Amino acid sequence: MTRTISVNHLTRVEGHGGITVVVDGNDVSKVNLDIFEGIRLFEGLVRGRSIGDIPQIVSRICAICSTNHVITCLHALENALGVKATKQTRKLRDLAFHGANIESHALHVFVLDLPDLLGHSSVISLAGVIPEAVKVALRLKKLGNAIQEVVGGRAVHPINHVIGGFGRVPSTDELVALRNQVRAGIGDCEQALAVLRTVPIPEFVNAPIRCAAVVPEDDAFFFGNEMGILENGKLTKIPVRDYRKFTNEFMVPHSHAKHSQYNGQSYMVGALPRLTLNGDRITGMARKAWEELNFKTPSSNIIMNNVAQAIEMIFSVEQSLRILDDMLDAGVAQEAPVSYQAHACSGAAATDVPRGTLFHSYEIDSDSRIAAADVITPTAQNLNNAEDQLRATVTQGLKAGASDSDLELRLAMVARAYDPCISCSVHVVRV
Amino acid sequence: MKPKIGIYGFSGCWGEQIVILNCEDQLLDIVGAVDIVDFLGGSSVNDTTSRLLIAFVEGSIANAREETALRKVRERSDLLIALGSCACFGGIAAMDARAPRPEVIQQVYGKNGPAKSWDIGTHRPLSDFVKVDLSIPGCPIEKTEFLRAVSSLLNGDLPLLATYPVCLECKMLEYECLLLKRELPCAGPVTLAGCGARCPGYNIACVGCRGPVDEANMSSLEAILEQKKFSKDEIKRKLRTFAAPVLDKAENRG
Repeated sequence: MTRTISVNHLTRVEGHGGITVVVDGNDVSKVNLDIFEGIRLFEGLVRGRSIGDIPQIVSRICAICSTNHVITCLHALENALGVKATKQTRKLRDLAFHGANIESHALHVFVLDLPDLLGHSSVISLAGVIPEAVKVALRLKKLGNAIQEVVGGRAVHPINHVIGGFGRVPSTDELVALRNQVRAGIGDCEQALAVLRTVPIPEFVNAPIRCAAVVPEDDAFFFGNEMGILENGKLTKIPVRDYRKFTNEFMVPHSHAKHSQYNGQSYMVGALPRLTLNGDRITGMARKAWEELNFKTPSSNIIMNNVAQAIEMIFSVEQSLRILDDMLDAGVAQEAPVSYQAHACSGAAATDVPRGTLFHSYEIDSDSRIAAADVITPTAQNLNNAEDQLRATVTQGLKAGASDSDLELRLAMVARAYDPCISCSVHVVRV
Repeated sequence: MKPKIGIYGFSGCWGEQIVILNCEDQLLDIVGAVDIVDFLGGSSVNDTTSRLLIAFVEGSIANAREETALRKVRERSDLLIALGSCACFGGIAAMDARAPRPEVIQQVYGKNGPAKSWDIGTHRPLSDFVKVDLSIPGCPIEKTEFLRAVSSLLNGDLPLLATYPVCLECKMLEYECLLLKRELPCAGPVTLAGCGARCPGYNIACVGCRGPVDEANMSSLEAILEQKKFSKDEIKRKLRTFAAPVLDKAENRG
């Protein structure tokens, strides 16, 4: 006899989605992560628009990842046009990425996810029990926003990032004030870590996770020209310009977002894969957090993605301080954006954003208008992997005798562990 | 008893809910003053039936499922507040594409098209379906306007929002005119103020993300931009990026 276990509307995630699992006896016959967010057709809408308009338009794919979409778009356009941004611009963009990482991880770990791990329905009820911890999390979230705002002119949908640089480079005074905020953030990270040490991590699912992330080429952790995927302890590298060989997108009827597979199998992108591939770069208090939170790579417990995010949040606060120190030591130049010549060209870029690898690719015509666009988000890439993990969750849960209501909670927790950004995934992509 | 409120998001980028969550310094005070009883984005336990004083709604309405849910929210709420340019004007997903819509869908989903079961509507503002008591535009909304609105509403009042263009704010801040002095395609003269001329402050032309100011003189701005060698097609598409559905309505009236 078959029965259905479902989560009708996922809560505490960004966007609209649900989970349907069909169980036949003790076998799982179907797992769908249903995505029913409205379709927005961005790649179709940008065709024919001037390239200067594009960063501001694709920013609207997603609010929480808006800084990441804008900068990834600029990297792709600059790769196409042959524009080489200055070292200072690269540092400021790197800084903005760390700001986005702090904000996004503080929000996900403390506001959206911690309620699960401590048996609460929301951060509001959590604030009644551990108000100081919630205040620390909100301060860190605010710091992440402050960084994005100083660099980008606005925390959500930044305006200051343009092809070749910035509308206005942040002043020395603004960066000094920001550095003071980041220094205070280091203390908040200590407090956040003290809270996280007390949080139990459930182990109800044990299934291998195939990890993929951008391979950083210099000290910018999230930027690189190669994609790495780890299989049986061996790292395969693929140039970003060949990204379609990597993502292999396909459509499924139950989701408004496309799915991805590499070599016929699902893979995961995000904080856990990043630390699995590039964890040797984690130093300082973030390294201390790694050890104190018993983080290990590779991991076959998807819930550990939340722990990976917490480690990365601390890492990003420390990296922000390093970048600001470097910039203020070197002196801030009020440089104009690098100029470019209009010509027909194409280019792609990949960055690692809070939820994993993000690809943007554009074809530009000789009038500097978009001829074709392609955006592949981390959540879309993760959907196939999430379904595999949801299947394992139910299979293993049934074996352990979990009730249907337990299974529903576990399904929601696994889906949330991916930190899915459904609005992102349904921006919708060119085939 | 604290007033009950709900926070809802339809099709969009979640920007308004993120801006609300970004009021880090005021968030705990807000939670102290109101009872947020229905908020899928923030809580896994939600009250979906009781009467609400205020419903804050972001996003555009793009399919029958969303329309039904919106009507349900309207029925149970004393006040329905549209947050952000998608809710107020249809927003960025309602912008003009160069190709007809069926073709755009095919560009995105390929020749075989999307699944038959999908309901792929156009993106419409909330006011096309229900009565909206207050519109707070912006892409995203400004924190200050949201907080001012909350405190006014809780005191039984409607907030005063700007009724003049970004251009005026820009002049008062004495920024150099990007349209006339730097020949940039600035939408400041026709766009509703309230952002403190944020973009011109960074030498970036206004993109019109807050939607049209009342009685915006579109044709005059279009004429200026044509003189500056922008093509008609480009001008139209630029000025219609965030609010195409309401501009269509204004044109039909006009």
